[in-house]
Amino acid sequence: MVVLLGLLTLAVGAGFIGALSGLGGGVFIVPALLILAHVPMQVAVGASMISVVATSAGASVAFVRDGWTNLRVAMVLECATVTGAVTGAYLAGIVPPWVLELLFALMMLQSAYFTVTKAGDSMVPRSDALAERLELGGRIPAETGGTDLEYGVTNVPGGAALMVVAGLMSGLLGIGSGALKVMAMDYVMHIPLKVSSATSNFMIGVTAGAGALVFLARGDVATVIAAPVALGVTAGALTGSRVLPHVNVQALRNLFVIILVLIAVEMGWRALSGF
Amino acid sequence: MNDTTADEERILRVWTPIILRTILVAAIILLLIGLLSTAWQHPGYYIERFHRLQKYGHPQYRDTIATLVAASLKGEPRPIMTLGLMVLTLVPLARVAFCFLFFLKERDFTYVAFTAYVLIGLVAGVILGRVG
Repeated sequence: MVVLLGLLTLAVGAGFIGALSGLGGGVFIVPALLILAHVPMQVAVGASMISVVATSAGASVAFVRDGWTNLRVAMVLECATVTGAVTGAYLAGIVPPWVLELLFALMMLQSAYFTVTKAGDSMVPRSDALAERLELGGRIPAETGGTDLEYGVTNVPGGAALMVVAGLMSGLLGIGSGALKVMAMDYVMHIPLKVSSATSNFMIGVTAGAGALVFLARGDVATVIAAPVALGVTAGALTGSRVLPHVNVQALRNLFVIILVLIAVEMGWRALSGF
Repeated sequence: MNDTTADEERILRVWTPIILRTILVAAIILLLIGLLSTAWQHPGYYIERFHRLQKYGHPQYRDTIATLVAASLKGEPRPIMTLGLMVLTLVPLARVAFCFLFFLKERDFTYVAFTAYVLIGLVAGVILGRVG
């Protein structure tokens, strides 16, 4: 019982911090399982991947058409993320744990960089030729009384290439790779930040689902850990998203960056000592 | 993409949340039944499994769905939880399937092709996991 309650507490905490930081529970539950619960990397990755699917399912069942999600962009880019995720999840069964730990450390640093630099929009009014053909542009819902603002989409191949990497990391490390997805859409494809975030949330479940299916079919998910972790992370994430509007996230930003860098150092150290 | 049609309303707003929610609730119930029965009936088993995982990693269990269902019906907690996790992964699968239906209904064949690719990718993942 103590072990089970301990795992549930870790999972709720990871989900809560994941929701407050906007980085998702996977980024925090993998190191928590590895460092605090002393489970092997592959087991932590499998459990985390399931928890990403659960959180995404729990958070966005009601969603689908919130006015911000660009369904067409999501579908085009999901072709890239699913390809990456299936490949990554396949490779996760082959590559040694120290490689996974090193990649995880790098992803932590990317998340820290994203948290620091997440500034604003670099919108373009018109799509480029390919995005125009795919009708990817959209409209931002108007504030009360205003008119909808049209935005264009550019550099679909560049964004898709980064999405393959995001999917690969998701499949290898059991995380949602939301920070990388938002960066690809916002910085490379010039999609407004809020649309990028909503579209990324829609995509995360499908990307992690692709990886989770590989893990489950391979029989590589440790059920006794994945079940409480999935339930705990989802509960923590739902609580976190309720608390979020009442918290000064800006003030917490530095704390998140410090936590991410510390995790990166610890994971990097583990990788290098395991090499 | 912003011109909301009646079909879109029906598929995306009404049916999708109802079915996704049903799948999600089914998965949570299975996971809770499995966890609670492990915690109450076999607390020693849980701790022993956990320590074995810490020490040796996870041995692969490639059970078929038929075996899992049969074992679940006998009340074994691990197969019940595994089924719960499998049902959970149906949520993203169902969501993509709904998008596929939506684009099909709109006769937007470029996007039917994109969504079909994603669906095939998800199924390919299962096959790759089985043989890999």
